Amino acid sequence: MQVFKAMFKVTKKRLPSVLAYMLVFLFISFVHARSATKDNKFEANRLKICVFDEDDTPESHALIDFIGKSNNLKTIENDRDVIIDSLYYGRVDYALIINKGYAKKLSAGETDDLFGSYHMDENYSVVYMGQLLDEYTTSVKAYITMGKTIDEAISSAEEALSQHTEVSMLRLDKGGDSHYSVDFAQYFEFMVYILISAVMIVVCQVLVTMNRKDIRFRTNCSCIKESKYTFQLFFGSCLFVLAMWLVLMIFGIILNKEMYAGRAWYAVLNSLIFAAVTATIAVFVASFEPKENVLNLITQVLGLGMCFICGVFVPISVLGEGVLAVARFMPAYWYVKANNMIAETEPYSLSGVLQCYAIQTLFAVAMIVLSVLVRKVKYSSAAIGTSVKKIAVHQ
Amino acid sequence: MFLHILKYELKNGLRNKDLIIWLILFPIVLGTFFKIAFGSVYEKNEKFSAIPVAIVEVNENPAFRQVVEGIESADVPFLKASFVTREKAEKLLDNGDVEGIIFTEDKLRLIVKEKGLQETMLKSFIDQYVVRESIAKDAMKNAPEKVQDVISVLTEETAASCREIPLTQGNPDPYIQYFYNLIAMVAMFGCVTGMHITMQNQANLSALGARNNCSPVPKSLNILACITGSCIMQAVCMIVCVSFLAFVLKIDFGDRLYLVYPTAILGGILGICFGFLIGSLSSLGEKTKAAVLMSVSMLMCFCSGLMVADMKVIIADKIPWFNNINPAAVISDCFYCLNIYEDYDRFITKLINMIVISVIFIALGFITSRRKKYASI
Repeated sequence: MQVFKAMFKVTKKRLPSVLAYMLVFLFISFVHARSATKDNKFEANRLKICVFDEDDTPESHALIDFIGKSNNLKTIENDRDVIIDSLYYGRVDYALIINKGYAKKLSAGETDDLFGSYHMDENYSVVYMGQLLDEYTTSVKAYITMGKTIDEAISSAEEALSQHTEVSMLRLDKGGDSHYSVDFAQYFEFMVYILISAVMIVVCQVLVTMNRKDIRFRTNCSCIKESKYTFQLFFGSCLFVLAMWLVLMIFGIILNKEMYAGRAWYAVLNSLIFAAVTATIAVFVASFEPKENVLNLITQVLGLGMCFICGVFVPISVLGEGVLAVARFMPAYWYVKANNMIAETEPYSLSGVLQCYAIQTLFAVAMIVLSVLVRKVKYSSAAIGTSVKKIAVHQ
Repeated sequence: MFLHILKYELKNGLRNKDLIIWLILFPIVLGTFFKIAFGSVYEKNEKFSAIPVAIVEVNENPAFRQVVEGIESADVPFLKASFVTREKAEKLLDNGDVEGIIFTEDKLRLIVKEKGLQETMLKSFIDQYVVRESIAKDAMKNAPEKVQDVISVLTEETAASCREIPLTQGNPDPYIQYFYNLIAMVAMFGCVTGMHITMQNQANLSALGARNNCSPVPKSLNILACITGSCIMQAVCMIVCVSFLAFVLKIDFGDRLYLVYPTAILGGILGICFGFLIGSLSSLGEKTKAAVLMSVSMLMCFCSGLMVADMKVIIADKIPWFNNINPAAVISDCFYCLNIYEDYDRFITKLINMIVISVIFIALGFITSRRKKYASI
């Protein structure tokens, strides 16, 4: 097992960079998992709202209290620049000004121009708050029309507005299967990036090193059989990928706080298949013998590219049709699709999941066939002959 | 002599493949991915458009139907409703074609799939309907003679009670920050070029450095020429990067694109100064130095929000001074100011901030690299 041993010696040198990747990934997953919840009860969104009360009357205070009931009130400095920054960076969702004379106008039954709001763009928060304010003022006005005083009108309006419609979720437990929640599914989803990066950095780099001209020539003239050499390389790569995958799976158990069960096993199998696919991609890329900097670029492009295009970093629903059409030609798309089905963010069907498995496997087979082809052309005796001649001429 | 060294510095840079890969190709690729991923998030998820909803009429409720149809025919409709059967509605919801299903039973009931603002808005819409209904009932009970007035108050098209005060003419898409940080990243990658300057002038680190040190050219002149050369190359990279983002990917930098270019170039120079300083501080080998520089600049970009956009906000809350000394954050802030603020005050402050950091870096770099003598190597 000379080749196998040599291979792991090279691998050892690459481990620190992989460890860095892994640690960052695991840390982020850990932080992410702590904020996750398993039950799936509907909660209304609470917006972050800052109110500048220029009227400062009991009526305006009542309104602020009312807004505060269903939203979070924030205080920020009343300075144009600070408000712009806060709105742009999402520190507050809505900046409301209660204009002077609010109480007077309201008790007179006028509802126009009661408020001002600092406006960045027409987003959902703006429309939502606009409706909420209109609703509040209309209700108060309605009660005033009934002949109530302003105080009574406000309290009656608040009472009327405190009725809430019953909202239920399509599925009670997140993901239809409590063993594989939507939040936990994210861990498997982000695994795409770490698998591609780590496998490419190590397997590809090691294979390129082992294939370096002088080492290659030395191996070729040793008595080891070609098939044995290839087998040992293959075995070594598989072992590394498997080890990495195992680490990720074990950490998954820790994150999930329970052993995989039920449908979660489908996700485990899915990730194993994807790990195999990345390994074959690494072998394929390595057969072109890229230089280190080019290899780093390819790793980043493949890793980030698949993650962005196939819906790992951003949900598939926001990606355009054109992008998805391209994504279908990438294994990560099918991995994510299977993962979504298992977590039931997409309708679940076993045959659908199996189909995704099959497509990923086909990618792996295609990669193997392609790399065998490339190697055949590159390392055929004729090709080696020419390269030896070239070297001889140079010297 | 200055021009001679400058010429060779430029030639040297042109043949350096790392430069082309990391300063031109990588940003182009990453920018394209950003565009693919974030290009339509804002339009689809944040900017308001009618919320699609399915309505299943379990019991006939003509009043509700009328309200919904009234809303749909408004200038800026709030809902996009489709009246369907229960099975169809559930399928639509599952596929994400609608945000929720409203059942018109004795009471209105809402089923949603996710928890978000759009779902909350649907809920508040139904709440509104219920509230108006109960107010009308209240009126009938307590003040029957005024029912007509109350109903007209509830149904009349009231002028919006809220007047909007516009804050900016710029592009309010928060996802554009990723592109600011991308430019900041390219600028910070200039540090590797900056580091090469010191490598070429430290005799104990490279053969070229040894040769340069025994030439009769003053060190200051030599370094100055190298820095000028690096800055020119970096400027080209920055121009390529900004042009690609602005014209190929059609990123909207606000209406002052002509100022984005010089800002980016200044940012690039800042990156070079940073690399120059770190390079001259230590006598580590080239690979180690490059690795340190790359990871430090990546960390800076992370803090300014290249990977997670909220990072800068979190830092602004906890340690606000850090955003003023983090070069990547300063660079991306400049672009933000150019886009959002109408006046130039903050932009100029940030720009001065950037120049001050560059000058400090370069001065420290000169101080640490001067008077180095190599008795024997």
